[in-house]
Order: sequence, then C-alpha cells, then structure tokens
Amino acid sequence: MSTNNAGLPDAKDAAQAADLLVTVAETLNERLAITADELARSQAMLREASAELMTAFRGAADRIVAAQREDRGDQAARAAEYGTVLDHLYSACQHLQSHDLVNQLIDAQKLRVDKMREKLGEAINLASPEATKPVSTEQWIERSRAMLDCIVAGIRQIDDDARGVRTDKKSAGSVDLF
Amino acid sequence: MKTILAVDDSATMREMVAFVLESAGYRVIEAEDGAQGLDRASATACDLVITDQNMPNMDGLTLVRNLRQMGDYKSVPILLLTTESSDAMKQQGRAAGATGWLVKPFDPATLLEVVQKVLR
Repeated sequence: MSTNNAGLPDAKDAAQAADLLVTVAETLNERLAITADELARSQAMLREASAELMTAFRGAADRIVAAQREDRGDQAARAAEYGTVLDHLYSACQHLQSHDLVNQLIDAQKLRVDKMREKLGEAINLASPEATKPVSTEQWIERSRAMLDCIVAGIRQIDDDARGVRTDKKSAGSVDLF
Repeated sequence: MKTILAVDDSATMREMVAFVLESAGYRVIEAEDGAQGLDRASATACDLVITDQNMPNMDGLTLVRNLRQMGDYKSVPILLLTTESSDAMKQQGRAAGATGWLVKPFDPATLLEVVQKVLR
C-alpha cells in the first residue's frame, strides 16, 4: 500500500480497502441470511414435532389426572398402576421441557442473527449511493470507520439485547432452598 | 386442597408444572408473566407461588419483591423455576425473598418433593 506525505494511504488504496470491507459485509450478510433461513426451518420442524408430542402427552395426562380424581376405590393395585403410568408421563414431561427450551434457544439465536443482519445492512448502506463516493483519502477512511463502528455496535447490541436461554446441563434440575 | 400459582411465559412449561402438581392432588392456577401473576395472587389466596425469572412485562424477581410487600404473601413460599443458574442470580433471588431456586428442566419427582417440603 502506498502512502502520501502525511503517512496516510493513497485515496485509491483507501477506496480499495473500503470496497473490500463492503464485500466482506455483503458476503457475511448472505451467509447470515442462509443461517436465519435454516434456523427458521429447524424451528418449524421442532415446533411441529413438539405440538404432536404435546397433544399426545396432554391426552394421557388429562386422562390419568381425571381417573385419579374419579376413582373412589382404594385398591392398592390401581394406585400402583397409576404410579407406573405417571412415571412414564413424568419422564416425558422432562423431555418435553427440553423441546421447549431448545425452541427458546433458537428464538434467541434468530434474534441475534436478525440484529446482526440489520447492522450489516446499515453498514453496507453507508457505502452507497455511488453518487456520494468520497474523493479524498480521509473521506474513504472515515467511511470505512463508520462501517466498522456500525458493525461493532451491532455486535454489542446483540450481546446486550438478546435474551438467550442459558441451559447449563450441569445445573439442570438442581435445587437450592434458602 | 392447596392452591399453587404457576407463572411462566411458556405455555408448555406452565402445562408441565400444572400436570405434575395436579397429578399429586394440588390445585393449580396459571399466569403468563409477573404482572398477571400479581393479579392472580391478589384475586386468589395461593399457598405457594412457582415463577419463572425471564418473562415479559414483569420478571420473576420483581414479582417476588412485589408479593413480599403484600401482607398475605409475606410468608407464603415462593420458588423460582428458571434456566438461570448463576450464583449471582440465586443471591438476588434470596435477597428478594424467594424461598428456593430450581433450575430447568426440572425433574417432576424433585419438584414434588420440594413443593411438599416448603408447604409443610
């Protein structure tokens, strides 16, 4: 890269650097669009499966709770039977929660990807329209800096805003009584 | 029959909690965020409140603080049931007046044990 007397790169080099930045931002935005689409498709499949599981679970759960209430008999055998069915339902209950938590995780990731795409879009817009193309080195550098600032602001924003679901497997199911 | 208020913005989670508690003979009323939980708690005398932390409108810790300022809920047990598991958050829960902290996904048998214990 050639520099002028003030130690700044030439306008041509600065323009090339800014163009490179635009190309990187556009490429990254295209990849994020694909990621967003895949997240949406994964979530749709998961939601559909969860809905089916929930319907089956609800049917069985409602039936067992109703049967427990209606049953006036005190046979130990019936109680044991309910217990066995409940054990299976409790097990399903734990896994259905995981489905729900994964859905929430995907929501949080979608939010992050969308926010980053938005900021990258803003950064790309800073490089257009062509009519306002800078002519001096300082203007090119200023434009590149504005784009980078926009991208960095996007990264900070997603960290601040995205309310991700933190699923810590080690502490899942733990209990603290105060 | 003891009445338990389950507060969570996830319908699936509310349904799971309600199923487990109802199968053990408790009556469960539901709310989908802290603000609605506060309304429900004001309208119905609850023996226990189980709340999520991260919810729109009003989060779980704010709900705990608000409930503790209501005369009827000064000594009613309140459990946080959440994905949050950091010690700092648990300390905040304790300071707010929560009775206990359970991390999702919960084990139904453990939930019932804890509920029985705090209702004793």
